[in-house]
Amino acid sequence: MPPALQNPFLLWFLLSVALAVLCYFTMRRELRVRATLYGSFLLACIVAMWPPYGKDDTPGKIHLGLDLKGGIHLVLQVVTDDALNATVDDAVSAARTQATAKGITVGAIHRLDATSFTVEGVEPARVKDMRDILHDYFRSPEWDLREPGEARFLVKMTDSYVNQVRDRTVKEAIRTLERRVNQLGVAEPIIAQHGARGDQILVQLPGVTDVEQAKRVISTTAQLSLQMVEDSAGSRESLLDKTQGKVPDNMEVVQGPGREPGQPEFYLVRKEAVITGRDLKNARAGVDGQTNSPDVNFSLNPVGADKFKRETGRSVGKRLAIVLDHSVISAPTIHSQIGAEGQITGRFSTQEADELAKNLRAGALPATLKYLQQLTVGASLGRDSIRQGIVAAGMGMAFLAIFMILYYRLSGVNAIVALAANLLILLGAMAYTGATLTLPGIAGVILTVGVGVDTNVLVFERIREELRNGKTVKAAINNGFDRVWMTILDTHATALIAAAFLFQFGTGPVKGFAVTLVMGLIANIFASYFVSRFIFEWVLGHRKAATLSI
Amino acid sequence: MEFLKNPNYDFLGKTKILLGVSIALIVAGIAYISSRGVRYGVEFSGGTQLIATFQNRPEVDKVRAAVDKVTSGAVIQTYDEPSKNRVLIRLPHTGGEGDLSSSADAVLKSLATSYPENKVVDSSTEIVGPIVGAELRRKAIQLTVFGLLFQLLYIAFRFGGAVWGTAATIAVFHDVLITLGLLAIFGYEITLNVIAALLTLVGYSQNDTIVIFDRVRENLKQRRKEPLAKIINDSVNQTLSRTIISSGTTFLTVLALYLFGGEVLRGFAFAMVIGIIVGTYSTIYIASPIVVWWDNFRKRRRGAPAARAAL
Repeated sequence: MPPALQNPFLLWFLLSVALAVLCYFTMRRELRVRATLYGSFLLACIVAMWPPYGKDDTPGKIHLGLDLKGGIHLVLQVVTDDALNATVDDAVSAARTQATAKGITVGAIHRLDATSFTVEGVEPARVKDMRDILHDYFRSPEWDLREPGEARFLVKMTDSYVNQVRDRTVKEAIRTLERRVNQLGVAEPIIAQHGARGDQILVQLPGVTDVEQAKRVISTTAQLSLQMVEDSAGSRESLLDKTQGKVPDNMEVVQGPGREPGQPEFYLVRKEAVITGRDLKNARAGVDGQTNSPDVNFSLNPVGADKFKRETGRSVGKRLAIVLDHSVISAPTIHSQIGAEGQITGRFSTQEADELAKNLRAGALPATLKYLQQLTVGASLGRDSIRQGIVAAGMGMAFLAIFMILYYRLSGVNAIVALAANLLILLGAMAYTGATLTLPGIAGVILTVGVGVDTNVLVFERIREELRNGKTVKAAINNGFDRVWMTILDTHATALIAAAFLFQFGTGPVKGFAVTLVMGLIANIFASYFVSRFIFEWVLGHRKAATLSI
Repeated sequence: MEFLKNPNYDFLGKTKILLGVSIALIVAGIAYISSRGVRYGVEFSGGTQLIATFQNRPEVDKVRAAVDKVTSGAVIQTYDEPSKNRVLIRLPHTGGEGDLSSSADAVLKSLATSYPENKVVDSSTEIVGPIVGAELRRKAIQLTVFGLLFQLLYIAFRFGGAVWGTAATIAVFHDVLITLGLLAIFGYEITLNVIAALLTLVGYSQNDTIVIFDRVRENLKQRRKEPLAKIINDSVNQTLSRTIISSGTTFLTVLALYLFGGEVLRGFAFAMVIGIIVGTYSTIYIASPIVVWWDNFRKRRRGAPAARAAL
């Protein structure tokens, strides 16, 4: 195929133009426009779905679900209370630090539950100062400050803040999982917020057969390392130019976000890490005193501090990559020797700085994950399923085709053409929207075919009835189609209501069923009503028929 | 070719006998379910389901011996066609929240050591924690009920009277009850797929009812003087050919699904096969008579044919 035709839109456009020309010369005036429109729509569907299934190197346009392809499906519960506890713990330690700094003697500051803490036994003379501190630090809309008794304060997270933290925790966990899953090199993984309360995560890894490895990667805590940067570039090729395309033995290439969003940057870094997550004592988001921009302060344990001091002393002016789960978070320049305490500055937003600090602290996962559901489909079961599904669909359609031709003769052929158009639209729409075909989805296709034929039968029976009542062929066809229009709308509407409810089952095979059913029902109105009617008018015009083969 | 030319059967006259059959089927289903219970699929009940594909024909006794070594309460049966060498192992529990699959892994390991002469070449697992199972059960019931309710509202709205919607909905309830009963009696599990089939056949049965009701509405406009019972009976006759052919063709397609669609879809296809038969029947013998009865009931109370206007 010439390269210009690789562009699907252009290909479709040219085919449509060709079709329009063909229609102009072969069709009667009143049919031309419709023929071109319908035909070009069907062409669009063919172009969208081609090639439908994948060969070894090129993936097909129809996405196959886990149950057909094999793979892993996990539902994880994010224990968001962990993150709330951590937030309140941070608040408690901030309050303590401030009280000490101002020289206020306090009986106790401790966490009450996941969302609140109390300050008790404040020395009477300094109650006002303590109140000022708490007012400063724990303002609405995030915190709610109360004084339930003399020299006692109750600080509680507001509901909106609780929800915000919960939501952020789930999103952070999702990002972390995404980073980890990327290491597996899975095509089209799905990692998404899930569940009625939104505190679950759905992970789908189609085509993955090594369950053990996948679970290990997902459940390992994050690997943090600080590695010296040798060089960086916008692409792997230009990065390795100087070394003749080879990665030196003591180096490795890691990827990270570049200057422009969406553009990766490649780093050549030393394999041996300067320090790793194990050397880290604490990390906290703060504000850089000079530039007033958000940064992250971290402290190291004595062993780590020693190593870090030595290495940074030697490498002032060089860059240090902060690598989390094999991807570079940032690569700041070392300005001076760093010891037990250091600073990471970058182009962070406050929230990003906060997140990075949390990642560094907690080994990347902001909360514990619990497994709720796990589904693995072996490749052989998947293969059997797809084969049986296709055989069943093929047999079903063959039954129908034979029956329709026996019972309605040439009009049966019309119904079969409509059926083929129905299938084309269904598959084209699935390819175009990226919907997933599951095994129940194949059942949905088969059912769509059944309902599509039902539409044809409704129309054909009505036409026969009109012919029996002595109408001319043309009038019978017009009446037949006109009279059943409302019925067809009604039947499709109720079926669509049923399908809409099936959508509520979230992802998974049943949703695949709902998707094919909805698309099939809509395609069906077009194919079995409009296309079929067009074919009748087209064929009858040629023959000026007095009889109809029905 | 044509099966029926101008059929003129007295459908509504035979309602009482067939109503007896319907009630018998429903009662049998309910009695069976209340004494034996329904078998839920693993997604609803929670637990572990493992489908292992062996190299050669597996001996269930040896598989059981290996499984019993590491866990208790397992249900073991051959799965799919015997030539596929598959065994289904159901455990009532999971491995725990930390690692759901530990009991499934233990079973696989035990199979490898205690039954080494026949290797497991491929396995599929479905492991569902108790929270998800309960949540899904609740959701399934909710969705089915709301799905029915919305369809009732739609039909009531389209036909301008609650009687039509109610009649169609009672017919659909009848279909769902009979299908559920037969599923239980024939030992099929209630899985998500089966719920999907039930909701679909709800749509299908409504579809069938609407076709006849549409025809009744059309006839009502032209034949104002005639009794409603006769109009409905005529409408059923006029659409009979369509009813039989389109149910027949849909039946053929789901039959193909039942016969060739494989083990995973067996329950789904069974529900559809039963549902299409029952759904077609219930339109004629449940939904239509209800409208007639309602009309008669109103006439008796008010002594006037005014009831028809309300339909």
